[in-house]
Amino acid sequence: MPRAARSNERLRALALAWAVAAAGALAALEPVCGYAAEGDSPARKAAPAATPAEWLERMNRALTRRNYDGTFSHWQGGTVETLRIIHRLQDGQVAERLVSLDGSGREFIRNGSSLACYLPDRRTVLVEQRPAQESLVGFPAVDSQAASLYDIRELARMRLNRRDTHVISVSPRDEFRYGYRLWIDDSTAMPIKTQLCDSDGHVIEQLVFGSLTMQAHIPDSEFRPEVSTDGFQWLRNDAAPLAAAPASAAVWRALKLPPGFRMMMRGPQTLPGSTAPVDHLVFSDGLASVSVFVETGGAAGPGGVAEVRSARVGSSSAFSTVSNGYKITAVGEVPPATVRFIATQVRAETAATPAATATPAAATTPAASRR
Amino acid sequence: MNEELDSQLSAMFDDELATAECELLARRLSRDTELRARWERYAVIAAAIRAERGVRLNARVARRVSVIVGAEPALAAAAASGHAPRRWLRPVAGAAVAASVAAVSILWLRGHTVPGAVVAAPELAAVPASRVTAPAVVRAAARTAGPDSYVVPPATRGATAIVPATELANYVVAHSTFSPPVARRNLLSSFMTSEPGAAGPIALSTDGAQDPPRDAKGSAQ
Repeated sequence: MPRAARSNERLRALALAWAVAAAGALAALEPVCGYAAEGDSPARKAAPAATPAEWLERMNRALTRRNYDGTFSHWQGGTVETLRIIHRLQDGQVAERLVSLDGSGREFIRNGSSLACYLPDRRTVLVEQRPAQESLVGFPAVDSQAASLYDIRELARMRLNRRDTHVISVSPRDEFRYGYRLWIDDSTAMPIKTQLCDSDGHVIEQLVFGSLTMQAHIPDSEFRPEVSTDGFQWLRNDAAPLAAAPASAAVWRALKLPPGFRMMMRGPQTLPGSTAPVDHLVFSDGLASVSVFVETGGAAGPGGVAEVRSARVGSSSAFSTVSNGYKITAVGEVPPATVRFIATQVRAETAATPAATATPAAATTPAASRR
Repeated sequence: MNEELDSQLSAMFDDELATAECELLARRLSRDTELRARWERYAVIAAAIRAERGVRLNARVARRVSVIVGAEPALAAAAASGHAPRRWLRPVAGAAVAASVAAVSILWLRGHTVPGAVVAAPELAAVPASRVTAPAVVRAAARTAGPDSYVVPPATRGATAIVPATELANYVVAHSTFSPPVARRNLLSSFMTSEPGAAGPIALSTDGAQDPPRDAKGSAQ
Protein backbone atom coordinates (compact mmCIF):
# COMPACT_ATOMS: atom_id res chain seq x y z
CA MET A 1 0.00 0.00 0.00
CA PRO A 2 1.45 3.45 -0.86
CA ARG A 3 2.66 5.41 2.11
CA ALA A 4 0.13 8.20 1.73
CA ALA A 5 -2.72 5.76 1.41
CA ARG A 6 -1.53 3.88 4.47
CA SER A 7 -1.38 7.10 6.37
CA ASN A 8 -4.88 8.01 5.32
CA GLU A 9 -6.12 4.57 6.28
CA ARG A 10 -4.53 4.88 9.68
CA LEU A 11 -5.97 8.29 10.27
CA ARG A 12 -9.33 7.06 9.14
CA ALA A 13 -9.24 4.13 11.54
CA LEU A 14 -8.15 6.29 14.42
CA ALA A 15 -10.63 8.97 13.56
CA LEU A 16 -13.48 6.54 13.30
CA ALA A 17 -12.78 4.87 16.60
CA TRP A 18 -12.09 8.11 18.41
CA ALA A 19 -15.21 9.67 17.04
CA VAL A 20 -17.29 6.78 18.25
CA ALA A 21 -15.55 6.33 21.57
CA ALA A 22 -15.37 9.94 22.63
CA ALA A 23 -16.24 12.75 20.30
CA GLY A 24 -19.33 11.06 18.94
CA ALA A 25 -20.74 10.72 22.40
CA LEU A 26 -19.88 14.33 23.09
CA ALA A 27 -21.67 15.56 20.04
CA ALA A 28 -24.71 13.45 20.74
CA LEU A 29 -25.05 14.74 24.27
CA GLU A 30 -24.15 18.35 23.82
CA PRO A 31 -27.66 19.62 23.15
CA VAL A 32 -28.90 17.80 26.22
CA CYS A 33 -26.20 19.38 28.35
CA GLY A 34 -27.19 22.85 27.31
CA TYR A 35 -23.91 24.30 26.09
CA ALA A 36 -25.55 27.18 24.32
CA ALA A 37 -27.16 28.36 27.53
CA GLU A 38 -23.76 28.53 29.18
CA GLY A 39 -22.15 30.35 26.32
CA ASP A 40 -19.85 27.46 25.55
CA SER A 41 -20.84 27.13 21.94
CA PRO A 42 -18.16 26.21 19.44
CA ALA A 43 -15.44 28.73 18.85
CA ARG A 44 -16.56 29.26 15.28
CA LYS A 45 -19.45 31.21 16.77
CA ALA A 46 -18.04 32.52 20.05
CA ALA A 47 -14.33 32.97 19.38
CA PRO A 48 -14.39 36.60 18.26
CA ALA A 49 -15.53 37.69 21.72
CA ALA A 50 -13.54 35.24 23.81
CA THR A 51 -10.29 36.47 25.28
CA PRO A 52 -7.74 34.04 26.79
CA ALA A 53 -8.97 34.96 30.28
CA GLU A 54 -12.54 34.22 29.20
CA TRP A 55 -11.44 30.81 27.99
CA LEU A 56 -10.01 30.16 31.45
CA GLU A 57 -13.32 31.16 32.99
CA ARG A 58 -15.22 28.87 30.64
CA MET A 59 -12.84 26.06 31.45
CA ASN A 60 -13.34 26.58 35.18
CA ARG A 61 -17.10 26.53 34.71
CA ALA A 62 -16.91 23.35 32.64
CA LEU A 63 -14.68 21.58 35.17
CA THR A 64 -16.93 22.44 38.10
CA ARG A 65 -20.43 22.45 36.61
CA ARG A 66 -20.52 19.86 33.86
CA ASN A 67 -21.10 16.12 34.05
CA TYR A 68 -18.23 14.17 32.55
CA ASP A 69 -16.45 10.85 32.58
CA GLY A 70 -12.93 10.59 31.23
CA THR A 71 -9.71 8.62 31.29
CA PHE A 72 -6.43 10.47 31.23
CA SER A 73 -2.72 9.86 31.50
CA HIS A 74 -0.87 11.66 34.23
CA TRP A 75 2.82 12.27 33.63
CA GLN A 76 5.02 13.64 36.36
CA GLY A 77 8.64 13.14 37.26
CA GLY A 78 9.17 10.59 34.53
CA THR A 79 6.30 8.38 35.68
CA VAL A 80 3.10 7.92 33.74
CA GLU A 81 -0.10 6.46 35.12
CA THR A 82 -3.68 6.25 33.99
CA LEU A 83 -6.56 7.72 35.96
CA ARG A 84 -10.28 8.00 35.52
CA ILE A 85 -12.34 10.97 36.61
CA ILE A 86 -16.12 11.13 36.88
CA HIS A 87 -17.74 14.43 37.80
CA ARG A 88 -21.38 15.33 38.30
CA LEU A 89 -23.25 18.40 39.47
CA GLN A 90 -26.82 17.49 40.25
CA ASP A 91 -29.30 19.45 42.32
CA GLY A 92 -26.48 21.67 43.53
CA GLN A 93 -24.50 18.72 44.88
CA VAL A 94 -21.06 17.86 43.58
CA ALA A 95 -20.19 14.20 43.14
CA GLU A 96 -16.74 13.30 41.96
CA ARG A 97 -14.65 10.18 41.76
CA LEU A 98 -10.98 10.03 40.84
CA VAL A 99 -9.40 6.59 40.52
CA SER A 100 -5.83 5.51 39.92
CA LEU A 101 -6.24 2.73 37.35
CA ASP A 102 -2.80 1.22 37.37
CA GLY A 103 -0.83 2.32 40.37
CA SER A 104 -1.73 2.44 44.01
CA GLY A 105 -5.42 1.83 43.37
CA ARG A 106 -6.20 4.92 45.38
CA GLU A 107 -9.61 6.51 45.02
CA PHE A 108 -10.91 9.92 45.96
CA ILE A 109 -14.68 10.17 46.16
CA ARG A 110 -16.66 13.28 46.93
CA ASN A 111 -20.37 13.17 47.54
CA GLY A 112 -21.68 16.59 48.43
CA SER A 113 -19.99 17.57 51.66
CA SER A 114 -18.44 14.15 52.27
CA LEU A 115 -14.89 13.49 51.07
CA ALA A 116 -13.52 9.97 51.19
CA CYS A 117 -10.00 8.95 50.32
CA TYR A 118 -9.38 5.23 49.85
CA LEU A 119 -5.74 4.30 50.34
CA PRO A 120 -5.44 0.53 49.62
CA ASP A 121 -1.67 0.68 49.92
CA ARG A 122 -2.10 1.84 53.52
CA ARG A 123 -5.27 -0.13 54.21
CA THR A 124 -6.84 3.13 55.26
CA VAL A 125 -9.92 5.14 54.39
CA LEU A 126 -10.05 8.81 55.34
CA VAL A 127 -13.51 10.31 55.56
CA GLU A 128 -13.91 14.01 56.03
CA GLN A 129 -17.22 15.74 56.49
CA ARG A 130 -17.09 19.30 55.27
CA PRO A 131 -19.60 21.99 56.19
CA ALA A 132 -22.54 21.74 53.81
CA GLN A 133 -22.14 25.37 52.88
CA GLU A 134 -18.81 24.55 51.30
CA SER A 135 -20.28 22.00 48.91
CA LEU A 136 -19.33 24.17 45.97
CA VAL A 137 -16.40 26.32 46.88
CA GLY A 138 -15.92 29.28 44.64
CA PHE A 139 -12.71 30.66 43.31
CA PRO A 140 -11.63 34.13 42.33
CA ALA A 141 -12.19 35.41 38.87
CA VAL A 142 -9.27 35.69 36.48
CA ASP A 143 -9.08 39.40 37.09
CA SER A 144 -6.64 42.21 36.49
CA GLN A 145 -4.55 41.15 39.47
CA ALA A 146 -4.11 37.71 37.99
CA ALA A 147 -3.05 39.40 34.78
CA SER A 148 -0.36 41.30 36.67
CA LEU A 149 1.02 38.07 38.12
CA TYR A 150 0.68 35.90 35.05
CA ASP A 151 1.05 36.48 31.34
CA ILE A 152 -2.15 34.97 29.92
CA ARG A 153 -2.28 34.57 26.16
CA GLU A 154 -3.49 32.35 23.39
CA LEU A 155 -0.63 30.49 21.74
CA ALA A 156 -2.47 28.76 18.93
CA ARG A 157 -5.51 26.93 17.77
CA MET A 158 -4.77 23.30 17.39
CA ARG A 159 -6.37 20.01 16.58
CA LEU A 160 -5.88 17.51 19.35
CA ASN A 161 -7.45 14.06 19.24
CA ARG A 162 -9.73 15.33 16.49
CA ARG A 163 -10.97 18.16 18.68
CA ASP A 164 -10.53 21.83 17.90
CA THR A 165 -8.75 23.47 20.80
CA HIS A 166 -7.56 26.86 21.93
CA VAL A 167 -4.08 26.61 23.41
CA ILE A 168 -3.91 29.05 26.31
CA SER A 169 -0.66 29.83 28.07
CA VAL A 170 -0.57 31.09 31.65
CA SER A 171 3.02 32.08 32.44
CA PRO A 172 4.06 33.26 35.91
CA ARG A 173 5.98 36.51 36.11
CA ASP A 174 8.03 35.35 39.11
CA GLU A 175 9.27 32.18 40.78
CA PHE A 176 6.53 31.95 43.43
CA ARG A 177 3.99 30.18 41.24
CA TYR A 178 3.64 27.68 38.46
CA GLY A 179 2.22 28.26 35.01
CA TYR A 180 -0.03 26.26 32.72
CA ARG A 181 -0.45 25.44 29.07
CA LEU A 182 -4.02 24.39 28.43
CA TRP A 183 -5.57 22.82 25.34
CA ILE A 184 -9.19 23.88 25.83
CA ASP A 185 -11.81 22.15 23.72
CA ASP A 186 -13.79 24.63 21.64
CA SER A 187 -17.10 22.85 22.15
CA THR A 188 -17.00 21.73 25.75
CA ALA A 189 -14.40 24.14 27.21
CA MET A 190 -12.81 21.14 28.90
CA PRO A 191 -9.00 21.12 29.15
CA ILE A 192 -8.24 17.95 27.22
CA LYS A 193 -4.52 18.46 27.72
CA THR A 194 -2.86 20.33 30.57
CA GLN A 195 0.79 21.06 31.17
CA LEU A 196 2.03 22.46 34.46
CA CYS A 197 5.20 24.49 33.93
CA ASP A 198 7.76 26.08 36.20
CA SER A 199 8.68 29.75 35.94
CA ASP A 200 11.21 28.88 33.22
CA GLY A 201 8.52 27.23 31.12
CA HIS A 202 9.74 23.66 31.67
CA VAL A 203 6.93 21.10 31.79
CA ILE A 204 6.82 19.39 35.18
CA GLU A 205 3.45 17.67 34.98
CA GLN A 206 1.11 16.74 32.15
CA LEU A 207 -2.44 15.41 31.94
CA VAL A 208 -3.87 14.18 28.62
CA PHE A 209 -7.35 12.82 28.18
CA GLY A 210 -7.51 9.64 26.11
CA SER A 211 -11.28 9.67 26.28
CA LEU A 212 -13.81 12.13 27.59
CA THR A 213 -17.57 12.00 27.42
CA MET A 214 -19.96 14.68 28.58
CA GLN A 215 -23.08 13.03 29.94
CA ALA A 216 -26.50 14.35 30.81
CA HIS A 217 -26.93 11.87 33.64
CA ILE A 218 -24.43 9.84 35.62
CA PRO A 219 -25.90 7.27 38.02
CA ASP A 220 -25.02 7.16 41.72
CA SER A 221 -23.42 3.76 41.19
CA GLU A 222 -20.51 5.43 39.39
CA PHE A 223 -19.51 7.15 42.61
CA ARG A 224 -18.97 4.03 44.67
CA PRO A 225 -15.46 2.67 45.27
CA GLU A 226 -14.26 -0.41 43.43
CA VAL A 227 -11.66 -1.27 45.99
CA SER A 228 -12.49 -3.83 48.65
CA THR A 229 -12.16 -2.25 52.09
CA ASP A 230 -12.14 -5.45 54.16
CA GLY A 231 -9.89 -4.98 57.15
CA PHE A 232 -9.26 -1.33 56.38
CA GLN A 233 -8.80 1.27 59.08
CA TRP A 234 -11.43 4.01 58.83
CA LEU A 235 -10.48 7.46 60.03
CA ARG A 236 -13.26 10.01 60.29
CA ASN A 237 -13.80 13.48 61.61
CA ASP A 238 -17.14 12.67 63.17
CA ALA A 239 -17.10 15.77 65.33
CA ALA A 240 -19.12 18.47 63.68
CA PRO A 241 -16.58 20.79 62.08
CA LEU A 242 -18.59 23.86 62.90
CA ALA A 243 -18.54 23.06 66.61
CA ALA A 244 -14.78 22.79 66.64
CA ALA A 245 -13.04 25.26 68.84
CA PRO A 246 -10.03 26.97 67.33
CA ALA A 247 -6.71 25.23 67.83
CA SER A 248 -5.47 28.16 69.82
CA ALA A 249 -6.65 31.35 71.43
CA ALA A 250 -4.71 33.32 68.86
CA VAL A 251 -5.65 34.75 65.51
CA TRP A 252 -3.20 33.50 62.93
CA ARG A 253 -2.07 35.57 60.03
CA ALA A 254 0.92 35.89 57.74
CA LEU A 255 3.24 38.82 58.39
CA LYS A 256 4.35 38.82 54.77
CA LEU A 257 3.16 36.98 51.71
CA PRO A 258 4.65 36.40 48.27
CA PRO A 259 3.47 39.09 45.82
CA GLY A 260 -0.20 38.81 44.92
CA PHE A 261 -1.22 36.31 47.58
CA ARG A 262 -4.12 37.23 49.85
CA MET A 263 -5.82 35.41 52.67
CA MET A 264 -9.10 33.98 51.40
CA MET A 265 -10.41 32.13 54.43
CA ARG A 266 -9.59 31.40 58.03
CA GLY A 267 -11.37 29.00 60.37
CA PRO A 268 -11.12 25.97 62.63
CA GLN A 269 -11.79 22.40 61.58
CA THR A 270 -11.07 18.86 62.63
CA LEU A 271 -9.27 16.37 60.42
CA PRO A 272 -10.00 12.63 60.11
CA GLY A 273 -8.50 10.53 62.89
CA SER A 274 -8.01 13.49 65.18
CA THR A 275 -10.10 15.15 67.82
CA ALA A 276 -7.87 18.19 68.14
CA PRO A 277 -9.04 21.19 66.15
CA VAL A 278 -6.80 22.66 63.49
CA ASP A 279 -6.79 26.25 62.33
CA HIS A 280 -7.00 26.32 58.55
CA LEU A 281 -5.95 29.42 56.57
CA VAL A 282 -6.22 29.64 52.80
CA PHE A 283 -4.13 32.01 50.69
CA SER A 284 -4.55 32.53 46.96
CA ASP A 285 -3.22 34.69 44.15
CA GLY A 286 -6.30 34.00 42.03
CA LEU A 287 -4.91 31.00 40.18
CA ALA A 288 -2.90 29.12 42.80
CA SER A 289 -3.75 28.46 46.42
CA VAL A 290 -1.92 27.49 49.59
CA SER A 291 -3.46 26.10 52.77
CA VAL A 292 -1.83 26.60 56.14
CA PHE A 293 -2.75 24.31 59.04
CA VAL A 294 -1.89 25.31 62.58
CA GLU A 295 -2.18 22.76 65.36
CA THR A 296 -0.94 22.40 68.89
CA GLY A 297 1.50 19.77 70.02
CA GLY A 298 4.53 20.70 68.01
CA ALA A 299 7.80 20.42 69.85
CA ALA A 300 11.20 21.80 69.03
CA GLY A 301 13.90 19.24 68.36
CA PRO A 302 17.07 18.70 70.38
CA GLY A 303 18.94 21.85 71.28
CA GLY A 304 15.99 24.09 70.62
CA VAL A 305 16.25 23.57 66.87
CA ALA A 306 12.94 23.95 65.14
CA GLU A 307 11.76 20.85 63.36
CA VAL A 308 11.44 21.83 59.71
CA ARG A 309 10.18 19.32 57.21
CA SER A 310 9.23 19.41 53.57
CA ALA A 311 7.46 16.96 51.29
CA ARG A 312 6.26 16.77 47.72
CA VAL A 313 2.97 15.43 46.42
CA GLY A 314 3.67 15.26 42.74
CA SER A 315 4.26 18.82 41.66
CA SER A 316 2.62 20.19 44.81
CA SER A 317 4.59 21.09 47.86
CA ALA A 318 4.27 20.82 51.61
CA PHE A 319 6.37 22.43 54.31
CA SER A 320 6.07 21.99 58.05
CA THR A 321 7.73 23.84 60.88
CA VAL A 322 7.27 24.15 64.63
CA SER A 323 7.02 27.54 66.25
CA ASN A 324 6.27 28.26 69.91
CA GLY A 325 4.64 24.89 70.45
CA TYR A 326 2.49 25.00 67.31
CA LYS A 327 3.02 22.92 64.22
CA ILE A 328 2.50 25.03 61.11
CA THR A 329 2.14 23.19 57.80
CA ALA A 330 1.64 24.78 54.39
CA VAL A 331 0.35 22.75 51.41
CA GLY A 332 -0.24 24.01 47.90
CA GLU A 333 0.20 23.54 44.17
CA VAL A 334 3.07 26.02 44.16
CA PRO A 335 6.89 25.76 44.20
CA PRO A 336 8.55 24.61 47.45
CA ALA A 337 9.89 28.10 48.15
CA THR A 338 6.36 29.49 48.26
CA VAL A 339 4.98 27.10 50.88
CA ARG A 340 8.12 27.64 52.91
CA PHE A 341 7.79 31.41 52.64
CA ILE A 342 4.19 31.37 53.81
CA ALA A 343 4.60 28.77 56.58
CA THR A 344 7.47 30.64 58.15
CA GLN A 345 5.58 33.93 58.07
CA VAL A 346 2.46 32.74 59.90
CA ARG A 347 2.21 34.20 63.40
CA ALA A 348 -0.29 34.56 66.18
CA GLU A 349 -1.55 38.09 65.81
CA THR A 350 -2.66 38.68 69.39
CA ALA A 351 -3.52 36.62 72.42
CA ALA A 352 -7.27 36.97 72.46
CA THR A 353 -10.08 35.28 74.28
CA PRO A 354 -11.47 32.13 72.69
CA ALA A 355 -14.86 33.78 72.32
CA ALA A 356 -13.37 36.52 70.22
CA THR A 357 -11.66 34.14 67.84
CA ALA A 358 -14.09 31.25 67.51
CA THR A 359 -15.17 32.14 64.04
CA PRO A 360 -16.82 29.15 62.37
CA ALA A 361 -15.27 28.28 59.05
CA ALA A 362 -18.53 28.51 57.18
CA ALA A 363 -19.25 31.92 58.58
CA THR A 364 -15.84 33.26 57.73
CA THR A 365 -16.21 35.84 55.05
CA PRO A 366 -13.80 35.34 52.22
CA ALA A 367 -11.37 38.17 51.84
CA ALA A 368 -11.88 38.27 48.11
CA SER A 369 -14.81 37.83 45.82
CA ARG A 370 -15.83 34.34 44.83
CA ARG A 371 -17.77 33.19 41.90
CA MET B 1 -12.67 -10.39 25.83
CA ASN B 2 -11.70 -12.98 23.26
CA GLU B 3 -8.42 -13.08 21.43
CA GLU B 4 -9.95 -12.34 18.06
CA LEU B 5 -11.31 -9.03 19.26
CA ASP B 6 -7.99 -8.20 20.89
CA SER B 7 -6.28 -8.99 17.66
CA GLN B 8 -8.69 -6.84 15.64
CA LEU B 9 -8.29 -3.95 18.02
CA SER B 10 -4.52 -4.00 17.89
CA ALA B 11 -4.61 -4.43 14.11
CA MET B 12 -6.81 -1.37 13.92
CA PHE B 13 -4.30 0.55 15.96
CA ASP B 14 -1.54 -0.72 13.66
CA ASP B 15 -3.50 0.26 10.55
CA GLU B 16 -3.63 -3.33 9.44
CA LEU B 17 -7.35 -3.89 9.59
CA ALA B 18 -9.50 -3.74 6.46
CA THR B 19 -11.73 -0.69 6.17
CA ALA B 20 -14.94 -2.69 6.41
CA GLU B 21 -13.72 -4.43 9.53
CA CYS B 22 -12.71 -1.08 10.98
CA GLU B 23 -16.22 0.18 10.64
CA LEU B 24 -17.68 -2.95 12.18
CA LEU B 25 -15.29 -2.72 15.08
CA ALA B 26 -16.01 0.97 15.55
CA ARG B 27 -19.72 0.18 15.79
CA ARG B 28 -18.96 -2.47 18.33
CA LEU B 29 -16.86 0.05 20.27
CA SER B 30 -19.91 2.22 20.60
CA ARG B 31 -21.83 -0.59 22.32
CA ASP B 32 -19.21 -2.60 24.14
CA THR B 33 -17.97 -0.75 27.21
CA GLU B 34 -15.27 -3.31 27.97
CA LEU B 35 -13.88 -3.08 24.47
CA ARG B 36 -14.04 0.69 24.62
CA ALA B 37 -12.13 0.69 27.91
CA ARG B 38 -9.45 -1.41 26.23
CA TRP B 39 -9.28 0.99 23.33
CA GLU B 40 -9.03 3.93 25.68
CA ARG B 41 -6.10 2.37 27.47
CA TYR B 42 -4.36 1.86 24.14
CA ALA B 43 -5.02 5.48 23.28
CA VAL B 44 -3.77 6.77 26.61
CA ILE B 45 -0.61 4.70 26.45
CA ALA B 46 0.03 5.67 22.87
CA ALA B 47 -0.57 9.33 23.66
CA ALA B 48 1.83 9.16 26.55
CA ILE B 49 4.48 7.52 24.39
CA ARG B 50 4.04 10.01 21.60
CA ALA B 51 4.16 12.94 23.97
CA GLU B 52 6.87 11.95 26.39
CA ARG B 53 9.99 10.07 25.56
CA GLY B 54 11.91 8.85 28.56
CA VAL B 55 8.73 7.77 30.30
CA ARG B 56 9.24 5.60 33.35
CA LEU B 57 6.47 3.19 34.14
CA ASN B 58 5.08 2.70 37.60
CA ALA B 59 7.34 0.28 39.46
CA ARG B 60 4.61 -2.27 40.01
CA VAL B 61 3.67 -2.33 36.35
CA ALA B 62 7.32 -2.59 35.42
CA ARG B 63 7.74 -5.64 37.64
CA ARG B 64 4.77 -7.36 36.05
CA VAL B 65 6.14 -6.55 32.68
CA SER B 66 9.58 -7.87 33.51
CA VAL B 67 8.24 -11.36 34.12
CA ILE B 68 6.22 -11.34 30.95
CA VAL B 69 9.21 -10.18 28.99
CA GLY B 70 11.24 -13.04 30.41
CA ALA B 71 8.55 -15.59 29.65
CA GLU B 72 7.91 -14.52 26.07
CA PRO B 73 10.68 -15.36 23.60
CA ALA B 74 9.58 -12.79 21.02
CA LEU B 75 9.70 -9.98 23.54
CA ALA B 76 12.94 -11.17 25.10
CA ALA B 77 14.53 -11.20 21.65
CA ALA B 78 13.24 -7.72 21.01
CA ALA B 79 14.63 -6.59 24.33
CA ALA B 80 18.02 -8.02 23.45
CA SER B 81 18.04 -6.30 20.08
CA GLY B 82 16.72 -3.05 21.46
CA HIS B 83 13.99 -2.90 18.82
CA ALA B 84 10.30 -3.38 19.33
CA PRO B 85 8.36 -5.73 17.08
CA ARG B 86 6.63 -3.84 14.32
CA ARG B 87 3.19 -4.90 15.43
CA TRP B 88 3.81 -3.51 18.84
CA LEU B 89 0.28 -3.60 20.06
CA ARG B 90 -0.48 -7.14 18.96
CA PRO B 91 -1.15 -9.36 21.97
CA VAL B 92 1.53 -11.96 22.41
CA ALA B 93 0.83 -15.61 23.20
CA GLY B 94 -2.31 -14.81 25.09
CA ALA B 95 -0.55 -12.76 27.73
CA ALA B 96 -2.48 -9.87 29.21
CA VAL B 97 -2.74 -7.20 26.57
CA ALA B 98 -2.17 -4.28 28.87
CA ALA B 99 1.05 -5.79 30.16
CA SER B 100 2.22 -6.59 26.65
CA VAL B 101 1.63 -3.05 25.59
CA ALA B 102 3.55 -1.78 28.56
CA ALA B 103 6.39 -4.20 27.89
CA VAL B 104 6.85 -3.25 24.29
CA SER B 105 6.42 0.39 25.13
CA ILE B 106 9.40 0.11 27.42
CA LEU B 107 11.44 -1.56 24.73
CA TRP B 108 10.45 1.13 22.30
CA LEU B 109 11.49 3.75 24.76
CA ARG B 110 14.77 2.07 25.42
CA GLY B 111 15.59 2.49 21.78
CA HIS B 112 14.77 6.18 21.85
CA THR B 113 16.19 7.33 25.14
CA VAL B 114 16.88 10.99 25.29
CA PRO B 115 19.92 12.24 27.19
CA GLY B 116 19.26 12.43 30.89
CA ALA B 117 16.02 10.50 30.70
CA VAL B 118 15.32 7.74 33.19
CA VAL B 119 13.66 4.65 31.81
CA ALA B 120 12.34 1.48 33.33
CA ALA B 121 15.20 -0.82 32.39
CA PRO B 122 16.86 -0.92 35.81
CA GLU B 123 13.56 -1.87 37.38
CA LEU B 124 13.11 -4.68 34.87
CA ALA B 125 16.36 -6.22 35.95
CA ALA B 126 15.82 -5.60 39.63
CA VAL B 127 13.14 -8.23 40.24
CA PRO B 128 14.41 -11.77 40.79
CA ALA B 129 12.29 -14.05 38.63
CA SER B 130 12.18 -16.66 41.37
CA ARG B 131 10.23 -14.37 43.66
CA VAL B 132 7.30 -13.79 41.36
CA THR B 133 5.81 -16.52 39.27
CA ALA B 134 4.70 -15.60 35.81
CA PRO B 135 1.13 -16.98 35.97
CA ALA B 136 0.39 -15.03 39.11
CA VAL B 137 1.67 -11.86 37.54
CA VAL B 138 -0.27 -12.43 34.35
CA ARG B 139 -3.41 -12.95 36.35
CA ALA B 140 -2.74 -9.81 38.31
CA ALA B 141 -2.20 -7.85 35.11
CA ALA B 142 -5.31 -9.28 33.53
CA ARG B 143 -7.36 -8.21 36.49
CA THR B 144 -6.49 -4.60 35.87
CA ALA B 145 -8.63 -4.64 32.74
CA GLY B 146 -11.78 -3.86 34.72
CA PRO B 147 -12.38 -5.67 37.98
CA ASP B 148 -15.49 -5.30 40.04
CA SER B 149 -13.47 -5.38 43.20
CA TYR B 150 -9.80 -5.82 43.96
CA VAL B 151 -7.30 -5.67 46.75
CA VAL B 152 -3.99 -3.92 46.45
CA PRO B 153 -1.22 -5.26 48.67
CA PRO B 154 -0.05 -2.81 51.29
CA ALA B 155 3.10 -0.89 50.53
CA THR B 156 6.04 -2.72 52.02
CA ARG B 157 8.84 -0.29 51.47
CA GLY B 158 9.87 1.89 54.36
CA ALA B 159 7.92 5.04 54.77
CA THR B 160 10.15 7.95 53.86
CA ALA B 161 7.67 10.78 54.06
CA ILE B 162 8.62 13.14 56.84
CA VAL B 163 5.15 14.45 57.46
CA PRO B 164 3.29 11.23 58.37
CA ALA B 165 1.55 10.03 55.23
CA THR B 166 -1.93 9.93 56.70
CA GLU B 167 -1.53 13.40 58.09
CA LEU B 168 -0.29 14.66 54.74
CA ALA B 169 -3.26 12.98 53.08
CA ASN B 170 -5.55 14.83 55.46
CA TYR B 171 -3.93 18.12 54.59
CA VAL B 172 -4.10 17.44 50.87
CA VAL B 173 -7.77 16.47 50.99
CA ALA B 174 -8.67 19.46 53.16
CA HIS B 175 -6.70 21.80 50.90
CA SER B 176 -8.22 20.38 47.73
CA THR B 177 -11.60 21.88 48.52
CA PHE B 178 -10.07 25.33 48.23
CA SER B 179 -7.98 24.82 45.11
CA PRO B 180 -8.93 26.35 41.77
CA PRO B 181 -10.35 23.67 39.42
CA VAL B 182 -7.29 22.86 37.30
CA ALA B 183 -4.84 23.03 40.19
CA ARG B 184 -7.14 20.86 42.23
CA ARG B 185 -7.23 18.17 39.57
CA ASN B 186 -3.44 18.23 39.32
CA LEU B 187 -3.07 18.02 43.07
CA LEU B 188 -5.45 15.11 43.50
CA SER B 189 -4.04 13.27 40.48
CA SER B 190 -0.56 13.55 41.94
CA PHE B 191 -1.84 12.33 45.25
CA MET B 192 -3.60 9.37 43.63
CA THR B 193 -0.55 8.26 41.70
CA SER B 194 2.42 8.97 43.87
CA GLU B 195 3.71 8.01 47.24
CA PRO B 196 4.29 11.33 48.98
CA GLY B 197 8.03 11.74 48.73
CA ALA B 198 10.10 13.67 51.15
CA ALA B 199 12.66 16.28 50.33
CA GLY B 200 13.80 16.58 53.93
CA PRO B 201 14.21 16.43 56.78
CA ILE B 202 15.76 19.82 56.81
CA ALA B 203 17.06 21.05 60.13
CA LEU B 204 17.28 24.76 60.48
CA SER B 205 17.84 26.84 63.53
CA THR B 206 14.82 28.48 65.06
CA ASP B 207 16.01 31.84 63.81
CA GLY B 208 16.52 30.52 60.30
CA ALA B 209 13.10 29.00 60.23
CA GLN B 210 11.51 32.29 61.04
CA ASP B 211 12.94 34.10 58.05
CA PRO B 212 11.72 33.90 54.49
CA PRO B 213 14.19 32.76 51.84
CA ARG B 214 16.91 35.29 51.25
CA ASP B 215 15.87 35.99 47.69
CA ALA B 216 12.22 36.33 48.53
CA LYS B 217 10.66 39.69 48.02
CA GLY B 218 7.50 39.42 50.03
CA SER B 219 4.83 42.02 50.40
CA ALA B 220 3.24 43.01 53.65
CA GLN B 221 -0.26 41.67 53.89
